[in-house]
Amino acid sequence: MNLNVGSSGLRRANDPPLLILVSLADGPKHGHALAKDIEDFAGVKLGPGALYGAITRLVERGLIEPLGGDDRRRPYQITPPGSAALAGALADMRRITRAGANRLGLDPA
Amino acid sequence: MKAARLLRWYPRAWRERYGEELLALIQDTLDEGRPTWRLRLGVISGGLRERAHEAGQAVRAAINPRSGPNLWAKVLVAGTTVALLPQNLSESPSPARGWQAVAAFDAVLAAVALTGAVVVAGGLAALPALVRFLQAGGWPKIRRRVAWAAGATVAAGGGLAALVLVVDSRSPGQLDASWVYLVGWLATGLAIAVAIGLWATAAAATAGHLALVPRVRAVQLVLGAVAAPLVTLVLVTLNLWWSATQSAVWLVAVPVFLGSASVDAWQRVPRAVRRGGRLRAAASGTTIINPSAQRTHGRHRA
Repeated sequence: MNLNVGSSGLRRANDPPLLILVSLADGPKHGHALAKDIEDFAGVKLGPGALYGAITRLVERGLIEPLGGDDRRRPYQITPPGSAALAGALADMRRITRAGANRLGLDPA
Repeated sequence: MKAARLLRWYPRAWRERYGEELLALIQDTLDEGRPTWRLRLGVISGGLRERAHEAGQAVRAAINPRSGPNLWAKVLVAGTTVALLPQNLSESPSPARGWQAVAAFDAVLAAVALTGAVVVAGGLAALPALVRFLQAGGWPKIRRRVAWAAGATVAAGGGLAALVLVVDSRSPGQLDASWVYLVGWLATGLAIAVAIGLWATAAAATAGHLALVPRVRAVQLVLGAVAAPLVTLVLVTLNLWWSATQSAVWLVAVPVFLGSASVDAWQRVPRAVRRGGRLRAAASGTTIINPSAQRTHGRHRA
């Protein structure tokens, strides 16, 4: 299912950029820690190519930023615009989830 | 598998910024015993996506809806126009149009000289910063663009020389009936346009690396704003010359070029003067302006 989440610019629940933002929401992480965390909480295995492609786009959009330190394992942290975009995406998903649950007669809680 | 070789699939700028990090992540992933063929495919497809992304950005920048199509159309017209010059110069005007042709040709030369002077002045203003950049080892950063532009210039020059030889050995009637000449003219015109475009992008890329003092930056802003309408002026004078030497039909193109210049092009000059003034005023505390460092592009952050 393709959840088009327009207001935040994040398109699907399993989009690498969205998963990275969720992972960074509780603190900075470098590439390998990000991949492990995303695999743990979402069950999605992001390869190095996909992960760094998404990191590049997020840095370009100013949603995450690199921290100083070891060049080879540079940690990234979410920025205030990144937090806002993530909050918007989650709100959109919550709205869609609620609509789906209502239509299926499930408990939305 | 040598992980470093996989990085070749990525654009150079991307490698310089993220290459070491990606290598570290690849190494960490390999240490976990993940299948290398899958990892290799993922990295290669990531590199191709980055190259496609970079190419897309370059195309979008080239066809900027505000000024791009107008600018690139002018470059194309300028290229094909230069390719026509061997034939134009070999044809003598009718006696009845003699003085108009001479006056129109003088106007072309004056417009070309003025435009060239503006472009050269802009280059000279940035020359000290360019020398500093090259002395600091900056040549590898612009080498590839300059090499492409130089290669295109050699190809365009060869085409132009061939056209001169063909024009010298054929009558105007023979040239008009020759499809080989037509193809040669179109190919040479395109090569010249490509060379102009490549030099323009090489100059823009080089300018992004230069640390310019605010006064020089202000001067370049004004010169850049003046250069665009001057290119239109060159094309207009060329049309007047053609109308004097060949057919009055070419006069139809004059309002087209003047229209393409648009009011906006002439508004850019006072706007550039105002921006230059603000730049110098704002620089009272800081003395160095680097355009690339001013972008809010994430990859420029520390």
